[in-house]
Amino acid sequence: MVLLDNSNFILRLEKIANEAKDNSSFTITFKRYDGHDRPVPRPEKKPLPKPETYMCLMRAQFKSKKISTVVRQGDVPTMMAMYSQFMKSKMDGLKRVKKVKSKAKAAKA
Amino acid sequence: MVFVKNWEDFEIAAENMYMANPQNCRYTMKYVHTKGHILLKMTDNVKCVQYKAENMPDLKKIEKITSNLVGHMASKE
Repeated sequence: MVLLDNSNFILRLEKIANEAKDNSSFTITFKRYDGHDRPVPRPEKKPLPKPETYMCLMRAQFKSKKISTVVRQGDVPTMMAMYSQFMKSKMDGLKRVKKVKSKAKAAKA
Repeated sequence: MVFVKNWEDFEIAAENMYMANPQNCRYTMKYVHTKGHILLKMTDNVKCVQYKAENMPDLKKIEKITSNLVGHMASKE
């Protein structure tokens, strides 16, 4: 699992989206992350410190390649803006819904 | 699978699931270009709710819910 910074994560996501266009899919996961990087200690030992602020862990998986990034509270707006842009540009294979202009047709007839 | 037909129901269920157990919940989205849909899933390792988005207007709703959830996740308690 490759841990990247926020902008590199989005760049790699775009490459993944291009590769996956023809015949496969990719998955993105969001989860709350408390910053602990050690396993939970035994009861008699000192417990891990309680985090002051939580972060968000974003992971992406394509075939067998995995990337991840950590989003801190301050970076959330920037990251979400970049992610929204990514979604709009790459996730465009969805159906376009045509507005049924039946009222206009009925008015004309 | 546990698919929800209605977008509002999915949004409410996902939000409730996260609020009940923020540390154990994860939100997943899977995009399949060839089939033209996005599969959304929210699970707390016990139950899960899913939604299949096939239309362009759903994309904006997905952006909104994602921003909302990420905002909750990366926050103070």
